[in-house]
Amino acid sequence: MNQEAVLRTFARAAEDAHAALTELDQRSGDGDFGDNLRGGLREAVARFDAGGTSAFGALGEVFLDEVGGTSGPLLGLLFTEIAQALDRGGSFGDGARAGLAAIQRVGEAQVGDRTLVDALSPAVDAFATGGFVAAAAAAKKGADHTAELRARMGRASYVGDRAKGEPDPGAVGIAVLFWAAATVESPDAAVEKPL
Amino acid sequence: MAPPFLPADGDPVPPALRGFARAHADLVELVEKPAHLVARDRDPARRVGLVSGGGSGHEPLHAGFLGRGMLDAVAPGKVFASPHNLQVLEASRRAAGPEGVLHVVKNYTGDRINFGIAAERLRLEGVEVRRVLVDDDLATESDETATGRRGTGATVVVEKLLGGAADTGLGLDELAALGAEFAAASRSLAVASRAQTSLHTGEPSFALDAGELEYGVGIHGERAQKSIDRPSTEALVSRLLDELVAGLPAGPSEVIAVVNGLGGTTLLELYGLHDLVLDGLAQRGLTVSAALVGTFVPALDMTGFSLTLTRLQPSWSAYWTAPAVTPALTVGAQP
Repeated sequence: MNQEAVLRTFARAAEDAHAALTELDQRSGDGDFGDNLRGGLREAVARFDAGGTSAFGALGEVFLDEVGGTSGPLLGLLFTEIAQALDRGGSFGDGARAGLAAIQRVGEAQVGDRTLVDALSPAVDAFATGGFVAAAAAAKKGADHTAELRARMGRASYVGDRAKGEPDPGAVGIAVLFWAAATVESPDAAVEKPL
Repeated sequence: MAPPFLPADGDPVPPALRGFARAHADLVELVEKPAHLVARDRDPARRVGLVSGGGSGHEPLHAGFLGRGMLDAVAPGKVFASPHNLQVLEASRRAAGPEGVLHVVKNYTGDRINFGIAAERLRLEGVEVRRVLVDDDLATESDETATGRRGTGATVVVEKLLGGAADTGLGLDELAALGAEFAAASRSLAVASRAQTSLHTGEPSFALDAGELEYGVGIHGERAQKSIDRPSTEALVSRLLDELVAGLPAGPSEVIAVVNGLGGTTLLELYGLHDLVLDGLAQRGLTVSAALVGTFVPALDMTGFSLTLTRLQPSWSAYWTAPAVTPALTVGAQP
């Protein structure tokens, strides 16, 4: 797959989504998710352009080492697993599945807890049968559905039902990643953009 | 209220880490970025590196227990905040033995996640990792939350026992299973008569009247679920022991007892408390076969103390008496 194009498309989408993600996170968290995603992607593009690493390798390093919050390093685990799967000749979906497993081992969140797992888990399942386009649609559907969920994990659990009505920003971030991947890998398909 | 004695500006942790490392240069080495400390010496029989860490403000935990017989590396966070996963990763890389690394983690969400992320990164590098979760605080035992009991004073007991066990050459899985047993056999309860001084305002972090005690207090300045009218010290120890003994899982009648100061409590008080604890446990049919009295897991300068009991299996005694040479705890002969 064209990792570089996915990285650049993802980075542009994070610029576009910054204000909306910030607003979502202010409702349920500490409001830094938009900054963290955009800042991490800018840094990852710079690190990739400096050479010596794959696009997803750069994403993994930056989000694990430098991005704040809890969700930043968790996303870093996903990016690193994707990078390693691609390095081994595996698929994006293989890496995403390994990343999901790592995130769940660390964060202990299940589907339904209103976290990024609610977008990532259905996307991983959809990828196995329908590839990039199906995965992107499943991620968006999963992210949208978090609007109806009450948080059990993460900072949003402190505000209870007050976060309901709008989706979880971390889940939306995952939907943006899968949208970027589908847009690059299946340019002729109609892929609905999250947010 | 007078402010604490800290450098004029900035984070108080880095200068304290430098001072600690310079004071104990024979035992520990400091790496400043990302901040972690490594023991200079370890028993050659040890096959698993022991790594701990957590927020600062609980000194001597954890760096004070670095050294032969206890911890191999630690990752100190900012005051009352989890270390970054990169600190834990670097500490673990340095500490890893031929059979990998065992993380000793106090049960707080931030610590669990950051140690967990570091563990995933270590696995990607081919380093085997297991975790022992310390969750001894009886005051936070509840069926209603998923977070479980906090990790507090039992940490020093678990770290000492694990150090002794690791030096017998146990493998990673055996050590992780033992560590889980040590933690499961331990319960603690803490009380405070004055909150710790806020490093920002110089004032107590929460207010208590002279006749009040915070009962079941945590080690990060979080309030307890209840405040009580202050009883006599004898009656207070009796009440604490009743709850602790009732809360301990079933097991042998031999225990390790820790009387731990929360930062602003004198040794004069702590030894007097220990005298009451020993008598009280004897009355309850428990034998104290080992004890620690001092300030091991404080909350900055909080005035108060915690009691920890660990039921001691006969086979664990050797782990407790095994030699240890660390800045804050020395046991037995020099190795």
